[in-house]
Amino acid sequence: MKSLKILISLIVFALFLSVGIGNSIAADGKAVVDSKKCGGCHKMQGPPDKTIADVLKRKAPDLFYAGSKFKEAWLVGFLQKPTMIRPAGTVYLNNIKMGEKKDEIGDVKPCASALSKDDAEAVTKYLMTLKEPTMKAGVIVDDTFSKAKAKVLFGQKEGCSGCHRDKADSGGTSCPTLYNAGERLNPDWIFDFLKNPQKYDPKIWMPRRELSDEDFMLLAKFIASMK
Amino acid sequence: MKKVSLMVLSIMFLGLMITPLAIAEKAEDNYKLYCFQCHGSKGNGGGINAASLSTAPRDHTSATEMKKLSDDNIFTAIKEGGAAVSKSTFMPPWKSILTDAEIKDMVKHLHGLCKC
Repeated sequence: MKSLKILISLIVFALFLSVGIGNSIAADGKAVVDSKKCGGCHKMQGPPDKTIADVLKRKAPDLFYAGSKFKEAWLVGFLQKPTMIRPAGTVYLNNIKMGEKKDEIGDVKPCASALSKDDAEAVTKYLMTLKEPTMKAGVIVDDTFSKAKAKVLFGQKEGCSGCHRDKADSGGTSCPTLYNAGERLNPDWIFDFLKNPQKYDPKIWMPRRELSDEDFMLLAKFIASMK
Repeated sequence: MKKVSLMVLSIMFLGLMITPLAIAEKAEDNYKLYCFQCHGSKGNGGGINAASLSTAPRDHTSATEMKKLSDDNIFTAIKEGGAAVSKSTFMPPWKSILTDAEIKDMVKHLHGLCKC
């Protein structure tokens, strides 16, 4: 009985310690974000931009809901070696070369602030604390779905590949690539974002679709399966 | 009674603070942010996404093509998407972003592009 009490006390102590350490790492991450002036390009707190004029001033994606959006493991790797997620940059309109017959993507580069492994881990801990309060977690509980139905919905009915790259060498370029979305995005966030992109970004150039929850779920699972 | 009125006023004020106010934009600016991606900066269908579309985006500068469409047809295509007028599903419904008034302005803007 005594040993059980000691064991329980140890577990409680270990939990307390791990929460404390987690909070401390997140605080370190916040300090790195501040020192690197990430907020100079990224919006670190809401509300989102409400006018086109403000959207056009945007230099990098909003991060004030990063903890709802991203997968932790992906963030740690990305922060050490940032890559292009949006082929035409954060706001495509700011990065196109306007031609007489057709437009082309201009010179776009990924974020130049690569972090050390320790800093990337600390910043990730901090970013994972930035949540969208209304997003429901645990909505997508499995990865079973009809790939055939999902492909029709994604490619034909909703035309997602018109704006998103669904393969490394095909698909649209004005929006984020999706062929690797499963590594990057939290499936619950994909579902929530698909249901109402304007909740996250009122002026984003992806309008809301009127689909059933079942179809939103199907699309979210399909996108989450892209790895 | 005074307390109740104050409470109602407070709730209304809070509601105003929380409700995102839709800000009407000029048709030209809406066209740039939402339409350039497929229809191109010149409106001729040469947007950066055009190559990925199985149906070419409409050339808004072509009077011949645009004259075939009524204003109601264009309005519905923008508001409800291409599928609503038996056209490409790559044209999405924009009603979650553009108000009816903004779409009406957009129809006028398109007449300016085709000079028709």
